[in-house]
Amino acid sequence: MRIGVFVCQCGTNIAATVSTERVASAAMALRDVVHAESIQYTCSDPGQRTVIAAAHKYALDRVVIAACSPRMHETTFQRTMAQAGINPFMMEMVNIREHCSWIHSDMEVATEKAIDLVSMGVAKVRGQTPLFSSHVPVVSEVLIIGGGVAGIQAALDIADAGMPVTLVERGPTIGGNMARLDKTFPTLDCSSCILTPRMVEVKHHENIRLMVNSEVEQVRGYIGNFEVDIRKKATCVDEEKCTGCQICEQKCPSEAPDEFNAGVGETKAISIAFPQAVPLVASLRKEYCRLYIKGKCGICKKVCPADAVDYEQEDELHTEKFGAIVVATGYELFDWRQAYPHYGGGLYPDVITSIQYERMLSASGPTGGHIQRPSDGAEPKEIVFLSCVGSRDESIGRPLCCKVGCMYIAKQAILTREHIPDSRTYVFYMDVRAGGKGYDEFYRRAQKEAGAVYLRGRVGKIYPRGGKLVVMGADTLVGENVEVEADLVVLATGIDAAAGAGSLAQRLNIPYDQYGFLSESHPKLRPVETTTGGIFLAGACQGPKDIPETVAQASAAAAKVIVLLSHDELETSPMIAEVNHMRCIGCFKCREVCPYHAIEEQGLRDGRRVAVVIESLCQGCGLCTVACPPSVISLRGYTDNQLIEEVTAVLR
Amino acid sequence: MNGIVDTIKNVLKETDLVLGWTTDPVTGVATPARFHDEKEAEQAVFDSTCAHNLAVHLPRLKDSRVGIVAKGCDARSVIELIIEHEVQREQLAVIGVGCGSLLDVKKIWRRYGYGVAIKDRDDSLLIGGEQVNRDEFIQRKCHGCLEADPDIYDVIAGEVTGEIPTDTVRPHPLHDMFVSLTPAERRSFWREQFSRCIRCYACREVCPMCFCRDVCIMQTQIPRWAGGAVDAKQSEMIQLIRVNHLAGRCTGCGECERACPVGIPLMLLLDEQNHAIEEMFAYGAGASLKARPPLLVFDVNKDIWGKG
Repeated sequence: MRIGVFVCQCGTNIAATVSTERVASAAMALRDVVHAESIQYTCSDPGQRTVIAAAHKYALDRVVIAACSPRMHETTFQRTMAQAGINPFMMEMVNIREHCSWIHSDMEVATEKAIDLVSMGVAKVRGQTPLFSSHVPVVSEVLIIGGGVAGIQAALDIADAGMPVTLVERGPTIGGNMARLDKTFPTLDCSSCILTPRMVEVKHHENIRLMVNSEVEQVRGYIGNFEVDIRKKATCVDEEKCTGCQICEQKCPSEAPDEFNAGVGETKAISIAFPQAVPLVASLRKEYCRLYIKGKCGICKKVCPADAVDYEQEDELHTEKFGAIVVATGYELFDWRQAYPHYGGGLYPDVITSIQYERMLSASGPTGGHIQRPSDGAEPKEIVFLSCVGSRDESIGRPLCCKVGCMYIAKQAILTREHIPDSRTYVFYMDVRAGGKGYDEFYRRAQKEAGAVYLRGRVGKIYPRGGKLVVMGADTLVGENVEVEADLVVLATGIDAAAGAGSLAQRLNIPYDQYGFLSESHPKLRPVETTTGGIFLAGACQGPKDIPETVAQASAAAAKVIVLLSHDELETSPMIAEVNHMRCIGCFKCREVCPYHAIEEQGLRDGRRVAVVIESLCQGCGLCTVACPPSVISLRGYTDNQLIEEVTAVLR
Repeated sequence: MNGIVDTIKNVLKETDLVLGWTTDPVTGVATPARFHDEKEAEQAVFDSTCAHNLAVHLPRLKDSRVGIVAKGCDARSVIELIIEHEVQREQLAVIGVGCGSLLDVKKIWRRYGYGVAIKDRDDSLLIGGEQVNRDEFIQRKCHGCLEADPDIYDVIAGEVTGEIPTDTVRPHPLHDMFVSLTPAERRSFWREQFSRCIRCYACREVCPMCFCRDVCIMQTQIPRWAGGAVDAKQSEMIQLIRVNHLAGRCTGCGECERACPVGIPLMLLLDEQNHAIEEMFAYGAGASLKARPPLLVFDVNKDIWGKG
C-alpha cells in the first residue's frame, strides 16, 4: 500500500489558519504514507500536474487530498486520479477548509485538527477498494409538471430539440397564473397576446403530449429511468369529441365559483375556464352540478351537439416512463384573510386582492374591463393599494419578499388612470423594490404620469364608514398618521408555493422549505437542479419570480434536460449498497425501508432466501445499511470497517 | 372448552409440531417441549411455572406448520414476528392460554431448595407443604403485565382471564431508584451491573426478536463492533447495541432478564426505551397486527412542514 497525501493551501483560504507544511510532515508519519506535500492550489492545472507527477514518481496506489469540500472538487480530483492511472475511487478528500480553516482562528488548534482529519482520511483510504461505474440506458421522454408559462416554455424548448414531452397540468387548461394577468410590467404588453400563441403551439407541437386535469401520483425510479403514475381525473366530458362550443355552459342551471376569475363573478358547473383556454374543452365540476347534488338534471348531455358529455367517465391511471422531470408547479397568492383581521379579514366586499383587480382590468374578464366596486358595481374614484400583505411581515411569520408586488402595483396604478382618468390612487408601501431592467423607470412613471401618491408605511386598520372604506395608516417619512377614504382597496398579497407543492416534493423525493417552495441543489451554481438527479425546477415553484425570470429559468431547465438526455446511457455511481449474502438472515427490513425499491429477494442454492441490491436502482442512500440487524449491508466506499478505522484514527 | 392436551391433539391434525410445555420429571416444574404426535401430546401441561416465551423458536421453524401455546405476553412476540415477516400467519396455529401470573421458580428454589414441591392452586401457594405469600414469588415480568390473554389465537385452551390486569402494571422494581440517580451515578450503576456479565448471551438466545443468531454483530469479527474482552466496558457496549437493535421491536416479554444467570436488570433499559418509543411514535411492539413499526417505514407522504 502506497499512499500519497496532498495538503492544499487554497491560496490563503487554508494556509492562513492551518500550517499545511506541518500537516504534510505529520502525514508522512502515518502508516503506509510514502509521500506528502503542501500545494498552493491543488485544483489548478499545475496543482493537478504536481499530484500526477508524484503519483508516478512514488508509485502511489491511494491518494488523500486535504482541501475543500468534496462537494466542490471531488469530481475534479477523481478525474486527476484517472489521468494518473489510479482508480478514481482510491482517492479520499479531506475537508480542511469548510470544516477547519474557515471556522477556526487559532492556527495551533486548527493545524492539530487538520492533522486529525488527515489521519482519518488516511485510515479510511487504506480500506478502500477500486470501484467501477456501470451504465444504464436512458429513457428519452420528458415529464413536465405544471402548465403555466414555465412549463410551457420548458416543454417547447425540449420538444423543439426533438425530445418527446408530456406536459401534465392539474387544472382544465394550461396558461397558469400568467393567463389571468391583463398586462405585464414594465412594457405593458398584453399578457394574453404573448402567452396565447405559445399555448396553442404546445397544443399542436408534434413532440408534446398535453394531459390536463391530471396529477402526478407516484414517482419511482431514478435519473434517466423514472416511472410515474399519472391520474387523469374524470371531467364528464370526452376531450376528443368536445368542440368548445360552450352551449353546455350557457344552458347549465348550476352556478359555481369562478376560480379562474379569482371569485369575481360566477361561472357554471360545466364550463370552459376562459375563451383562449387550451385545450378548448369543457369540464364538469361534480361538487356544483345539479345532477350530482339533486340527482336530476342532465341538461348538458341533452344540449351537447357533439355528444361529448359522459357522466360515466372514470379516472384513468397512466403509468409512463420518463428520463427527466421538470417541476413547474408555480405559485398561488397567500390567503390573507386569517392573518389580517384588521383589514376586515375578507368581510368587506370592497377590499379585494390584486388578482381580483387584475381580472377586472382585463377586457376579457368578468366585468369586460370595467373597474367596479364589488359591493354596488359603481366605478371607484379613490383607490388605495397596500403592498406587502403577507410579505415581509415578521409579525405573521412571513419575512419573505414576493418580488413582484411593487411592480404590479405600479402597473395597476398606471392602468387605473387609463381606465378611469379622474381617479386618484394611493399606494402604501414598505420600500419600492424595482431592481429589474426598466423597472425603476416604470415605477416612476406610475408616480409622474399616473399620479399615484406613494405613502411609506404599513396600514394599521381598514373599516367601513358611510359607504366608503377608511384606510388608517402612517406616513413614516413625514411622521404623521394618514387617513384615506377609499372606494376600493386592493391588497398586494404575497406569494406561496402552489397548494400541494410539499406533498408533490415528497413524492419526488426533493427538498422544500417552510412555504412549500422547492429547493435548488445550489443557490448559485446549480439553480435549476434539485438534489435528486434528473429532476429540475422551473419558475415560481422554486421561489417568487417575475415572468422574464421564470421564462429564463424554464429555458435553463430545458437546456439541462437536453444535455442529460443527449446521451443514450448514463454512468451510475458505484457507491451503492452491497449485501453480504453469506451472512444475510433474510429478514428483508432493507426492502421495507428502501425508498427506491432497489432490494429484491433471491433464493440461494442452499435454499436460503436472501436480499440482493438491484444495482441500477440503488442510489446509495444507506437506509438499508442501518436497517440491517446483523449489519451485513455495506455502502461501497463507506464500509463499516472504513468508518470504524476513521473513528479509531481520530480517537488514537 | 378443551384442556391443553386435547387442544394440542386437535391442532396437531393441521400442523407438523406444537410448541408447548411438559413437566420436568426431576423438578416437577414445567419445561418447554415439542409435540409431534398424539402420544407425545399426552404429556402437555400448562401451569404457572410455564414462564418461557416459546415464540423464540418460531423464526427457526419457518419451513414447518407450527402450533404454539401462547400466553398474552408471548402472543405479543408472535404478532411482532409476523409483522417483521419472520413468521407466516398462515403457517401458524396459535393456542391461546389465559395466564394469572407466573412463578419465579428460581427464586423459590434459592429460598427452599432445588426441586422443592410447589403447589399453586386457587390463590394459595404451597411450597414444600408450607403456605406462603404468592405475591412474593411471582415473576418480575408479571409485575408489568400488559396482557393476561393473548391478542392473537386460533383456539383457546382452558379459560381466559378476560381482563387486562392493569392494577398490576407498574414499572420495573428498580425504576424509582434508577431515576433518582444522577447521570454519573447511573453510569457507575450500569458499570457495576455489567461487570458481572459473563458474556453467555442467554439474553440474546431467549429473545424472540433476536433472530440473527449466528451472524449476530455481537460476535462479528469483521467489522469488530465490540471487543472480545469480557469486561464491564465491552459488555455495556454489547447491551447498548442490543437495546438499540430492539428499538420499536421489544415486546417487553422480560425473557432476557429472566434468563440472565447473574441477575442484570436488563428490562430496566428496555422498559425505558419502550416508553420513549411509545411516547414518540405511539407504537407498542406486538400490540397490533395492523401497526407498522415506526423505524421500518419510509413514509414519503409524511408532511413535515404541514404544507400539503
